[in-house]
Amino acid sequence: MNQKIAIQVDDLTVAYNYKPVLWDIDLIVPEGVLMAIVGPNGAGKSTLIKSILGIIDPIAGSVTIYDKPYAKQRKLVAYVPQKGSVDWDFPTTAIDVVMMGTYGSLGWIKRPGAKEKKASLEALEKVGMLAFKNRQISQLSGGQQQRVFLARALVQNASIYFMDEPFQGVDATTEIAIINILKELRKAGKTVVVVHHDLQTVPEYFDWVTFLNVKKIATGPVKDIFNDDNLTKTYGINYKVAVSK
Amino acid sequence: MTITEYFQLLFTDYTLRTITLGTAVLGAICGMLGSFAVLRKQSLLGDAISHAALPGIAIAFLITGAKDTNVLLLGALISGLIGTFWIKGMTTKTHLKSDTALGLVLSLFFGFGMLLLTYIQKQPNANQAGLDKYLFGQAATLVVSDVWLMTFVTGLALIILLLFWKEFKLMLFDADYTKTLGFNTRFIDITITFFIVLAIVLGLQTVGVVLMSAMLLAPAAAARQWTNKLSVMVFLAAVFGAFSGVFGTAISATQNNLSTGPVIVLVASVFVAFSFIFSPGRGILFRQLRFRKNRRELELKKTLQMMFGIAKTHENVSHPHSIKILNNFQGFTKKTIREIEEKKWITITGQEWALTQKGFDEAENMFNKSSDDE
Amino acid sequence: MSSPQIEIQIIAAVVAVACAIPGVFLVLRKMALISDAISHSILPGIVLGFFITQDLNSPLLIILAALSGVITVVLVERIQKTGLVKEDTAIGLVFPALFSIGVILIAKNANDVHLDVDAVLLGELAFAPFDRLIMSGVDMGPKSLWIMGVILLITITLLLLFFKELKVSTFDIGLSSALGFSPVVLHYGLMTISSITVVGAFEAVGAILVVALMIAPAATAYLLTSELKRMLFLSIFFGIFSAISGYWLAHWLDASIAGSISTMLGFVFLLVYLFAPSKGLISVMYRQKQQRTEVSLLTFLLHLNNHTEEEERHINHLREHINWQKIRANTVVDLALKNNMISVEKELVSLTEKGKNFTETALDYIITNKDEKIEHLKEDFFLFRG
Repeated sequence: MNQKIAIQVDDLTVAYNYKPVLWDIDLIVPEGVLMAIVGPNGAGKSTLIKSILGIIDPIAGSVTIYDKPYAKQRKLVAYVPQKGSVDWDFPTTAIDVVMMGTYGSLGWIKRPGAKEKKASLEALEKVGMLAFKNRQISQLSGGQQQRVFLARALVQNASIYFMDEPFQGVDATTEIAIINILKELRKAGKTVVVVHHDLQTVPEYFDWVTFLNVKKIATGPVKDIFNDDNLTKTYGINYKVAVSK
Repeated sequence: MTITEYFQLLFTDYTLRTITLGTAVLGAICGMLGSFAVLRKQSLLGDAISHAALPGIAIAFLITGAKDTNVLLLGALISGLIGTFWIKGMTTKTHLKSDTALGLVLSLFFGFGMLLLTYIQKQPNANQAGLDKYLFGQAATLVVSDVWLMTFVTGLALIILLLFWKEFKLMLFDADYTKTLGFNTRFIDITITFFIVLAIVLGLQTVGVVLMSAMLLAPAAAARQWTNKLSVMVFLAAVFGAFSGVFGTAISATQNNLSTGPVIVLVASVFVAFSFIFSPGRGILFRQLRFRKNRRELELKKTLQMMFGIAKTHENVSHPHSIKILNNFQGFTKKTIREIEEKKWITITGQEWALTQKGFDEAENMFNKSSDDE
Repeated sequence: MSSPQIEIQIIAAVVAVACAIPGVFLVLRKMALISDAISHSILPGIVLGFFITQDLNSPLLIILAALSGVITVVLVERIQKTGLVKEDTAIGLVFPALFSIGVILIAKNANDVHLDVDAVLLGELAFAPFDRLIMSGVDMGPKSLWIMGVILLITITLLLLFFKELKVSTFDIGLSSALGFSPVVLHYGLMTISSITVVGAFEAVGAILVVALMIAPAATAYLLTSELKRMLFLSIFFGIFSAISGYWLAHWLDASIAGSISTMLGFVFLLVYLFAPSKGLISVMYRQKQQRTEVSLLTFLLHLNNHTEEEERHINHLREHINWQKIRANTVVDLALKNNMISVEKELVSLTEKGKNFTETALDYIITNKDEKIEHLKEDFFLFRG
């Protein structure tokens, strides 16, 4: 495999209130994979993504995106936060939320124009939400909200996509729609990193996986490392319960 | 003086015009910035800040011995900011929750302020009178320079708001995401907080320490009910705020012995109550009506289902049936039948009804629809 | 000390205790601001009650006013349920409106109501001894002392009767309903007691300072202990202390007694906030600094444990690769050496047997999410002692 390295994490340690959440994580994500991060609750999955994205300051360690620090590579990265992290009663419409994806490339003060609007409409269409573009976001279903979030990330037109539990609380149709888009992204050579809860769907959806429980247990192709051994190491002896859940 | 007289005087009386203009501008800036406070879930921060400003006023007076409004407001600004940052510090550094931190700053600063105020009142200093107005506000004491100051700050806030509109909106909606896009969220956060504190401090003279927070919240909460767009909400809040200010001042000016603060707050509260009930999209009244209508619709559909069940047995769906067959079906009334006819789901001839094609389709659709509705 | 002086101090102390007890539960239940809302919104109740009874000390007035406090709570909860605004906005909308109504009622009837707006905010503690309860010609002491005494007695009785229920429902709502205590009843019971206390204390210390008396002693105590009983005793103590010392401060400055009491409350809180042994600001900052070193040490040991490759264990690597300029690599290495966790040979760092042991145990604890066990761990391995 002669792939380029999209994300490299070295000796990353993160602590919330100085209590360790992630310990000495080394991680290399090759370009063009669709990767799931799995692990039990409190394993630090979201924290890992957030510290790669610079939302959380690590205590030690470094992160590079295509060999440069994140701050320099921001435009290559798109982020889909957990749906529950924002107030969906905020007075704004679906198209407005998607347009927010263009703000990063616009920079300070400059306003989005016709070009940004067109891109946002295209993104909405891609996630099958064009008909809802002027809908107030609180009047969307959970699945539709998640699709709007995905569209916002698509507008960023990035090379690497980070998604925090995109399948949480969404309907089956949306789940399929999202995973199809993710697979499309991978086909286009993009790298996608997803915090994922449902172990059953890992082999079906993803080609790469990272097991995480405060420290990294294993990372690699799903077909090589998604096995009982690593699941036990990550979830303890009760992993079968986790799988069947 | 009656209200009409007041508005007549408005065009001739210089003082009155100054006061009215002042409260209008104040209401506008409070509504504008209050929208941000409400959306940031910092509604009660305003309450704490306004109370925290009181010792600042007293200390500024003790130091300078002068009643110059601007100096007093500077004192208020400083102690308001100290209160704000202490609240933040308490919630991040100790395990005290934000409600406790807010309540502490609010009551302790205010108590200290009252200690100082009563201390000042006992001093043999002729200038002392007039600090009382900061408790409940006295719009009548506004002078032209105060109005200029308010207008200047409002203008400044407006420019900043327009300039960083996109950033403010993004930050209000999704702070983490804002950070990943490379914006300095700390800067945005501090700018918003600073302007909120500034608006509160400006309002102390007119509305007073005790009720200032309502001036910030009420117009924004009312405006939120009428729109789903942030820009419209901010604009409406400014308009509601300005109107509350003007009407409140007008009413209190026409009565003896009334502070402006409580009156303005009551006017603003009327705006809120009205919006809660009558706003078409979110209001309680229309929500109730929609709820009723949905329930009625459901009843109609149940009857239609019943008819569908009968009509289905015939090859020709529009074969007429006697209305009497329906008699043992609960919930069916003459009114239901008529409403169903109005919807053109059935036709009625004499004592018989017949399903139309439209009615048939509708009933058949109901079976399929229930599953794919999210 | 004259006898009115003594009486004022006794009244102040009784008010402080009566406020401190419900205050503890409000703070623990994250409802501190409800006391703010209640203290403002009882005003129209007091004014209306006064129109009916013409006596500020009438029990009927107290009940009416307390009722308006409970109505406020219900109103706030109703508005929250509509989802039209966020929770805290609902509080912020309701009480200013009710308070305004009260102030306007007073102003419009200034000739009939002997309440002035200053008294509303500040109370009239200095005058309290002059309104005496006289029963069949015998002077029984100040009326307000009797009122607050009765309220305090009720509060203490209820506290003793329902202590267990209150404790469980405050710390674990789910468990309490499972055990059969209705959280709703307790909630409204607490709200009622708070309202009554606020109304009783209102005359003495005013609308806003009653908030200080409720929240500040409890918050101060909370910084010193998490144990409910101790917290109750401590807040009662802080309440009484501030009441008495506040009185003398006011006496000395010739200023408002209520203002002085809350200033003392603020002073005591500030002291505890800064210097409390484990939860105070200074100790938190110190501990955070220390924990930073601890976490760094653990990170460092874990790194050595993870990597057998020589280049990863080279002492220079630690400075460059792990981005250690942040955490004073030398301090960490020294600490590890002192505790015999590592050995350095030819610029190569390796774990000692003890270090290996320590790292594995530490990791175990952390992965099982029981980080408080780290404290035991530190003791077991004598960390930070040498």
